Amino acid sequence: MAQTNLEKQINILDYALSSLWRRRMKSLNVLLVFAAVIFLLASFQMVTQALSDKAKQVLVYTPEITVQKMSAGRQEAIPLAYRDKLARIFGIRRVVPRIWGYYFDEVLLANYTVMGMDVEEMPEGSRLDTTLASGRMPTPDEQGRVVIGHSVKKALDLEGRTTFSFFRPDLSLKAFTVSGEFSRDTDILTNDLIVMNLADARDLYAIPAGMVTDLCVYVANPKEIDTIARKISEALPSVRVLTRPQIQKTYQVVFGWRSGFGSICLLSALAAFVILAWDKASGLSPEERREIAILKVLGWETSDILAVRFWESVIVSGLACILGITAAYIHVVYFAASLFRPVLMGWSVLRPDLHLLPRMAAGDILLILAFTVIPYLAATVIPAWRSATVPADSALGG
Amino acid sequence: MLIELSGVSKIYNQGRANEVRALTDIDLGVEQGSMVCLKGPSGSGKSTLLAIIGCIFPPTSGKAAIAERQLARLPDRFLTLHRRETIGFIFQRFNVLPELTVLENITLPLLPLGVAPKERKLRAQELLERFSISHRAQFPAGQISGGELQRVAIARALINNQPIILADEPTAHLDTTLSREFMEIMQQLKATGKTIVIASHDPLVFEHPAIDRTVTIKDGRIHVP
Repeated sequence: MAQTNLEKQINILDYALSSLWRRRMKSLNVLLVFAAVIFLLASFQMVTQALSDKAKQVLVYTPEITVQKMSAGRQEAIPLAYRDKLARIFGIRRVVPRIWGYYFDEVLLANYTVMGMDVEEMPEGSRLDTTLASGRMPTPDEQGRVVIGHSVKKALDLEGRTTFSFFRPDLSLKAFTVSGEFSRDTDILTNDLIVMNLADARDLYAIPAGMVTDLCVYVANPKEIDTIARKISEALPSVRVLTRPQIQKTYQVVFGWRSGFGSICLLSALAAFVILAWDKASGLSPEERREIAILKVLGWETSDILAVRFWESVIVSGLACILGITAAYIHVVYFAASLFRPVLMGWSVLRPDLHLLPRMAAGDILLILAFTVIPYLAATVIPAWRSATVPADSALGG
Repeated sequence: MLIELSGVSKIYNQGRANEVRALTDIDLGVEQGSMVCLKGPSGSGKSTLLAIIGCIFPPTSGKAAIAERQLARLPDRFLTLHRRETIGFIFQRFNVLPELTVLENITLPLLPLGVAPKERKLRAQELLERFSISHRAQFPAGQISGGELQRVAIARALINNQPIILADEPTAHLDTTLSREFMEIMQQLKATGKTIVIASHDPLVFEHPAIDRTVTIKDGRIHVP
């Protein structure tokens, strides 16, 4: 009995396949549109996941607490003297001064992020030099040495040379020599970054001695970040205190908001497709009515005809899923998600050329299946009930 | 009696404004191994009677017993199961699916029975050879001649070795030669013990010597001249 039932399902599946083949142009059109919808959804999901993962991965290198001076709601230089006040707070392991700024290249219309910091002062485990692909970080007494990100190298066309110059505020030129490059794994943060020692950054931006833009605070126990941040706010009321979890949360919220917005647009496209599929499945051509009536006279039950429709939908949606997800993977890995880059990464003037590695967990695949295959099955099988109840006697004459 | 109808009536859309009485008080018995022709003009109720005998729907009233099974009040699912085992249908215009191959068309009734592909092919080939159309097995049914199409339809009606063959106006779209050929095949089937009921108003059918009895239907009733 079980063997016969299995054989029956195989026969019905075989008939469903031949039925799809007979209407191959129609089936192909549905398959391609469905695959395109899944491709868009899966690409979006993959690129959002990849960006979030990457952000999480590289934010490990950011300081646990960043302290900035605020005046009239705007950031201004912070005196190095604050360093001593911070050092007295129990639980702080180290305070490292930093100059953080941007440099707009008017020739290339690119915006670089410049960071001046004496890397050797950073505590072990948080040091930026562990993120280098080649070379080394400049020491405090090495003048004009920099480490650059991937896009900076490309933008400055530094393939054949290692030197370049930037303008100081008084329009005099300051020359730099590249002493290292960041790894592409940290692209999301270091892509447009130029790191130099504190003295060079102070010279480039003409920041007076004894002043920096931020103080980077490293704590002894990461579980106490929030407590220490509160202590800093109490000790120095005029400063803004940014913690690493806050920055991480900001990144997640930004990607979450953007992907949410994108997903709503894509789900609207999916809904339109499902409505179209429902409409198509509800209407029966005279040939389809005739075929159903013939099958019923020949001993097919209504449930057998429904099973044919079900298998047809499973085959179409299964193939569309495989096609859509594969195309999405290729789109994200080999074409760097070029369709969604303007939506997800459209802030920088220097377009980040990220090397994304998509992550697709079983949960994500199930989510895509739930949002695509299940509505499609419902939209095609439920109206098929109406088709399957075509009376068998309509195959007979008058 | 293999087919026994007593006081059978059929009313479509009963109780509604578009109610149609298709059959009234039909009494009919068909013995096993006989060939009966239901004769009458279009709209006389022949196809309705054939549909009741073919277990497509039960009568509105009266008793209908096909192969010792009472059809009245039998749920749709059981009617289908009974039809699968008992009835082979030959339709007007033969009703094959033109995009399927001849072999696929013939084996259609076997798919919901869970018959394995090898067994299906074996049974179909036997019939294809019997009706001399084995060379057309892999042709799409839409590309074969009318005579071959007729034999495909007969082969499909016999694939599950059902004891009763019902044919609905089988010669309506055939020329004289093919109509005669059809009746010869029916005669051969009768000789093998099949019970055959043909609905037709074609003299080539109802005047054929193999027909044991002709039943005239007029306005939904059996007409006794």
